[in-house]
Amino acid sequence: MEEESTSAESNTANERIRLNVGGKHFETTLSTLRSGGPDSLLYALSNRPSADPNPVFIDRDPEVFSVLLSLLRTAHLPSTARRFSRQELADEALFYGIDAHLRAATAPPPFLGIDAALATSIRPASEGLPSSFAASDSGAVWIAHGGQISGYDSSLIHAGTVRTHLDEIDSICRVWPEIAAVGSKSDAGLHFYNFSGSRHIGSVQWTDPLDPRIFKARVSAITASENSVFASFDCPHRENCILEVDKSNLRIVNEFARQSGNQAKNMVPAKLTWIPATGVLVGSAVAGGAFGFSGYVRLWDPRFGEVVWETNEPGGSGRSSRFGDSFTDVEADVEGLLLFKLCSKSGDLAMADMRFLKDDPWIYLKEKNPSLVSCGEVSNSVVHCYRGQVFVARDGELEVWSRVEERASVGVKSENECDAEGFYRRNFVDKREDSERGIIKKIEGGGDRLFVSREDVEGIEVWESSPSAVAISVL
Amino acid sequence: MPPFAGSQPVGLSKPDSNIVSIDVGGQVFQTTKQTLTSAGPKSFFSRIAESSGIYTPFIDRDPELFSLLLSLLRTGNLPSKAKAFDLHDLIIESKFYGIETLLINSLSSPSQLEPFNLQKSLLLPLNGRDSPSALAATTCGALHVAHGSKITSFDWSLRRKATVLTYFTAVDSLLALSPALVAAGANDFSGLQILDLGSGRVRETLNWENVTKSGSTVQAIGASPENMFVSFESSRRNSNSIMVYDLHTLAPVTEIGHNEIFGADIDSAIPATKLQWIESCNLLMASGSHSGPSGVSGNIRLWDVRSGSVVWEISEKVDCFADVAVCDGLSAIFKVGVNSGEASYVDLRNLNEESAWVCLGDKRKAMNNNGKKEGFGCKIETQGNQVFCTKGGDVELWSEVLMGSGNSGRIFKKNLMGRMRDMGGAKITNLAFGGSTMFLTRKDQQCVEVWQSSSKEF
Repeated sequence: MEEESTSAESNTANERIRLNVGGKHFETTLSTLRSGGPDSLLYALSNRPSADPNPVFIDRDPEVFSVLLSLLRTAHLPSTARRFSRQELADEALFYGIDAHLRAATAPPPFLGIDAALATSIRPASEGLPSSFAASDSGAVWIAHGGQISGYDSSLIHAGTVRTHLDEIDSICRVWPEIAAVGSKSDAGLHFYNFSGSRHIGSVQWTDPLDPRIFKARVSAITASENSVFASFDCPHRENCILEVDKSNLRIVNEFARQSGNQAKNMVPAKLTWIPATGVLVGSAVAGGAFGFSGYVRLWDPRFGEVVWETNEPGGSGRSSRFGDSFTDVEADVEGLLLFKLCSKSGDLAMADMRFLKDDPWIYLKEKNPSLVSCGEVSNSVVHCYRGQVFVARDGELEVWSRVEERASVGVKSENECDAEGFYRRNFVDKREDSERGIIKKIEGGGDRLFVSREDVEGIEVWESSPSAVAISVL
Repeated sequence: MPPFAGSQPVGLSKPDSNIVSIDVGGQVFQTTKQTLTSAGPKSFFSRIAESSGIYTPFIDRDPELFSLLLSLLRTGNLPSKAKAFDLHDLIIESKFYGIETLLINSLSSPSQLEPFNLQKSLLLPLNGRDSPSALAATTCGALHVAHGSKITSFDWSLRRKATVLTYFTAVDSLLALSPALVAAGANDFSGLQILDLGSGRVRETLNWENVTKSGSTVQAIGASPENMFVSFESSRRNSNSIMVYDLHTLAPVTEIGHNEIFGADIDSAIPATKLQWIESCNLLMASGSHSGPSGVSGNIRLWDVRSGSVVWEISEKVDCFADVAVCDGLSAIFKVGVNSGEASYVDLRNLNEESAWVCLGDKRKAMNNNGKKEGFGCKIETQGNQVFCTKGGDVELWSEVLMGSGNSGRIFKKNLMGRMRDMGGAKITNLAFGGSTMFLTRKDQQCVEVWQSSSKEF
């Protein structure tokens, strides 16, 4: 019986259907129309009684429809789609209820640092110097610039701009898909803005009833876990702490990591990363001065407010084997549970496994490419981990450290288990002319894109790895 | 997706008729069974041809693209109106119908190479900052480029690419085994790696077990229809050998030209740096050169792979080759001299002990060894009946002028390729041929130049 019913169903699915879109006739099968999903308009149309000899009439543009029909048939966007803007296609796909299909077909392929090129640059219309930005997993990005937040959706179309009460936004974090947490170095408190309503929905201030000096604390870093937002606060007299804020009601639930801030090793964390796999918060701070860089990396367990592991450079516990070569930037690879630091003097990249942190856990990655050896000391450097790749910016240059795929044959095991550093290869992402645009201030990956902002350059760069070879005609 | 669905009875067509009607996306096409079956015996179209009769099969695809592919089936060529479409759409569509090979044959096959009509038409940019170190092209025109530790592969239409990361710091020899499989080796890294470019993984690593138990670096890779030849040198550089592998199973077949160096026998110390299979003679050409205090010396050997013996050998003392290539179509071995920079040839048809190079260019330059290295780094490659020789930033095309009877000697003439504005670019570092295209790379340029004939422009 069951077999019969499925075969009957497949028969109806193979049935042909005629459509009249804006006067042009199309013929397709029900299964093609239904591949848009049960919620789509086309699915609803396909449920008409098939006995009706007249084609279904849809009062829309036939040319855009033919593109979308090809998309349903082949799961590829045909080249004729280039005649229409992204916005037109997105609107039309939304009308037919197949926007998810369009997004899947237009999404960039998995991001590979070794094969990335500058895809586009997004520039907010006014006061375009980005002070910070936050990327989402879908490839959308929020840019904070001049007290405004401009949102760009996953196809990088401008979605809207919110003017905040802050004059300058120095940290921004995506709390919910529509809610941003922002902080400023010139204004106190952590503030939440709802993007869709374009309004302020809450603030959090650090206060201590027992200590009146805790006043006008400013936010220097924000990160979000599944249920909470963590923000590091810094008072004018440099005392600092981390507050845990409940995402659902925006109330403070926990205060920990309170430090006096009178030394480099207890100043406010300038970078916070939540590691969901182990439930720890990684914070780091670096101060640069005439005598080089000094700073710390600390791992907190927010439930107990305790430091799980820490290292201070120069000196302190967890001493580095490389004396006088303290780090300029530290970044945690959330998926790979790795910590990466960039040495200030040698310019080397070092890796530590977060599962086996000990006194000196750093493994210095070997430079194997003779044409790239030792870049030496640079004043500005940024490290960012994305999809198992480590992106390092030195002044204006962008490079990537990526792992070589391990052999298919599992039988051959490496004799040396600690040979992990040998699997990383360093490559430049950019071309020489790209690096001349300015010093890289921030790198963030999201949704198979890498967003890069540069000092005194309007807008942010979007790097993608494209499967299509952009051949340049020289005829 | 079902191949065809919801058939409709058509009153007019008779079951035994040779005419087949197909409804594609609402548009009815008529063709013959012969045309449909020309796509191949088990293809999608021949199934339609078999099943056609009283019903008109319905294919839920784009009718406009189908009409182009139907023309391809009928004539073997795409109609000119196909230029209004993107080739990538056609490739997707031809894959759906299972006739991609027809499309490849009509657009990119080695028989369509028009050497006198090649012009610089495209630049394929490579991401990152590494200059290309090796090129490998397949017969259908797909291209693999090694740059730094990466290999970027372009499909035959040069519209899709993919990049993989390798263990090498730089790849020095590259050979395309199939569109998704390459053999890669380096002068400073042990072992030949067979890379699966689809997954980016190493499928196999082939090593040569040498006496010194040191690593084995790859100096050259070559292939015949059945075998793959790899020239290995031990990392201590005191022994070298040419290994023969089965091209399909990658199992070692035999080893030829094994040299162990004792003492100061410089000549045997030279590993082969170029391997080329000579199809018409069933011989393997292996050449290697060595730069010493007394200048560059080298040797060219023709190996009979089955018996493992040298059939013919020439030792190069004066004006040693910078590069050697065998032209099967012209039955000759060509070289470009490292000192003179001039091309010379040896006729393959009557090789003997006294065979000597016949210089094609300025003979005086080849004779006096004045220590100049005008030909240093020059490349020579053959394709069909033509010989392509690079000189600095230019490519010379040598072709034989066929004279009527009564002439004893062979006449070769050269032409400089390209338009005036393409001349004198940066030095050419690699040259490869695939499909109807010539690929070349230049020093310090992060792109591949594509030379195509103007009539083949899509």
